[in-house]
Amino acid sequence: MEIHKTSWPMRILVFVLFLYLLAPVLLVFPISFSGDQVLRFPPTFWSTRWYVALFENSKMLSAFSTSLLLASIVTILSIVIAVPAAWVMTRVKFRGRDLLFNLFTAPLLLPTIVLGLAILIVFASFGLLATMRGLVFAHLVVTLPYALRILAVALNTQDQTCEEAARTLGAKPLTVFFRVTVPMLIPGIVAAAALCFLVSFDEVVITLFLTGPRISTLPVELYNYVYNQADPLVAAASVLLILLTLGVIMIVERTMGLSKTFVK
Amino acid sequence: MPVSQSLEEHLKLDGISISFGPVNVIPSLDLSVRKGEMVAFLGPSGCGKTTTLRMIAGLISPSSGRITVGGRDITRLPIHDRDMGMVFQSYALFPHMDVTRNVQFGLQMRNVSKQDIERRSKEALELVQLGHLAQRKPKELSGGQQQRVALARALVIQPSILLLDEPLSNLDAKLRDEMRLQIRALQQQSGITAVFVTHDQVEALSMCDRVVVMRNGRIEQFGTPTEIYERPATAFVANFVGRTNRLKGKVGSDGQLVAAGQPLRATTKLSPGPVDVLIRPHRIALQPSSGPATTGDGNVVEGKVSSIIFIGDLVQYVVRAGDEEIVVEEATRRERAPLGVGDNVHLRWSADDTLVYPDDGK
Repeated sequence: MEIHKTSWPMRILVFVLFLYLLAPVLLVFPISFSGDQVLRFPPTFWSTRWYVALFENSKMLSAFSTSLLLASIVTILSIVIAVPAAWVMTRVKFRGRDLLFNLFTAPLLLPTIVLGLAILIVFASFGLLATMRGLVFAHLVVTLPYALRILAVALNTQDQTCEEAARTLGAKPLTVFFRVTVPMLIPGIVAAAALCFLVSFDEVVITLFLTGPRISTLPVELYNYVYNQADPLVAAASVLLILLTLGVIMIVERTMGLSKTFVK
Repeated sequence: MPVSQSLEEHLKLDGISISFGPVNVIPSLDLSVRKGEMVAFLGPSGCGKTTTLRMIAGLISPSSGRITVGGRDITRLPIHDRDMGMVFQSYALFPHMDVTRNVQFGLQMRNVSKQDIERRSKEALELVQLGHLAQRKPKELSGGQQQRVALARALVIQPSILLLDEPLSNLDAKLRDEMRLQIRALQQQSGITAVFVTHDQVEALSMCDRVVVMRNGRIEQFGTPTEIYERPATAFVANFVGRTNRLKGKVGSDGQLVAAGQPLRATTKLSPGPVDVLIRPHRIALQPSSGPATTGDGNVVEGKVSSIIFIGDLVQYVVRAGDEEIVVEEATRRERAPLGVGDNVHLRWSADDTLVYPDDGK
């Protein structure tokens, strides 16, 4: 990337904007080490008691493992479904292709509350409420459009002459797909997977409709917790979530390079 | 020294046509390439040369017509069964495989035994002098090296035809000269039939046994480089291949050719009407008009030097003759006093070098 000389007013503006965006996130860190009973800033004294409380809260722990499992399943399924779908959308010419693509990515534009209600109504009749299967299906509705869009862009910008070269060298279509197209798509797949994982792990609105006492995800459990009592336990949980998110981003950065993966 | 060239017909295009939507890119094309020969498709961009190459490769299917290789109809054969080695303009190396894996790819698709894959890929890399870079990834190679890997990858499968799509256009001038010689040498060593798409006349003329000059999806001329250059079939070919002066002329009802306000002699058969008269700049000799006015069976035109451009080994004179400007190229020489702007000169060229074509209105 080019390095521009930035003027001082511009730097200050950027700094203020970043501060505005990150301030709530940054505040969470000191609050999580608060020793107070309630959410308050600045804390009157420091302690790690809320981290201890968090790890002793079995509800939170089971919600966390549910979320982790759910996000992993959703991510894998999203990629497995979206890669061939994106391939068809970008490599096969057929009538109504653009329409279909827009239809598939439409859930991105719908208010999630509408989606949540619709899913609730449909899933209720299939007995999918408060089940892992139901959550997986619901989250796929949200993550698939992201995956499809990222992978379609990646496939469109990919040098297609490599596929042609493989074909002239004697590779059958399926061989071309697995030995050339998919390996060249890895950065796109990593980006899509990271996004799907984070979106699923983070999903509240739709999930709220589908969870219950039997099964709950971490964001929903946090939401319920704050609803009942406002103590710094949620701050401790937030810090761990932020670190997890950073961890995912770091893995992407280490393996692929962020700009290569997300910026086209 | 063409080693294995024969008159045996190898690749044959029979009434090939293709349309993209409403655009009829190639109306109907017939072509026959001999075994072991290297043929260039030469033409401006959009003339259909790459489209034709891609139809031979199978990357697109012709709307009608037949393609045969060694008598076998391959028109409807899928790409992966065609046995073509193709070198792409962008090289199209697999970025996620190292050089060796790139070269081995085609062999792995052909159920060649493991030892043979190792041996043949090694030989192919030696052939293009890249044995020492076998473990590199494509992006760690220079343009010329990538080009050679692409060539090795295409040749290692011993294809029935080698297809080259503007393989040199992404290289700098010096490397291009080198690769030209190398590709030609490899092609002749292996005796492989090759089709070479280019818009560069130097590549076409210097590398290939025969040249197809194309325009608007049609073949303007198919012949040896010498034929193309010395006896261009149309004004377009003469203009596209080599530099040329183009004079508006007229053939009278008596068969007399007139251009630049003077009667001229040509060896072409002429029919009355407006014509284009083409003369290569370096086929014209310049003499100061004060010198001896020798007459022969050639053409002599009087003119005045209007500008001089020095290009090192060449000097370009622009001479005003009548209402035409004629460019003359001379090798830089010392035995004659240099001409200056405004000098009156005699332009002299033989009747053989006067190319006359009916005016095509372009």
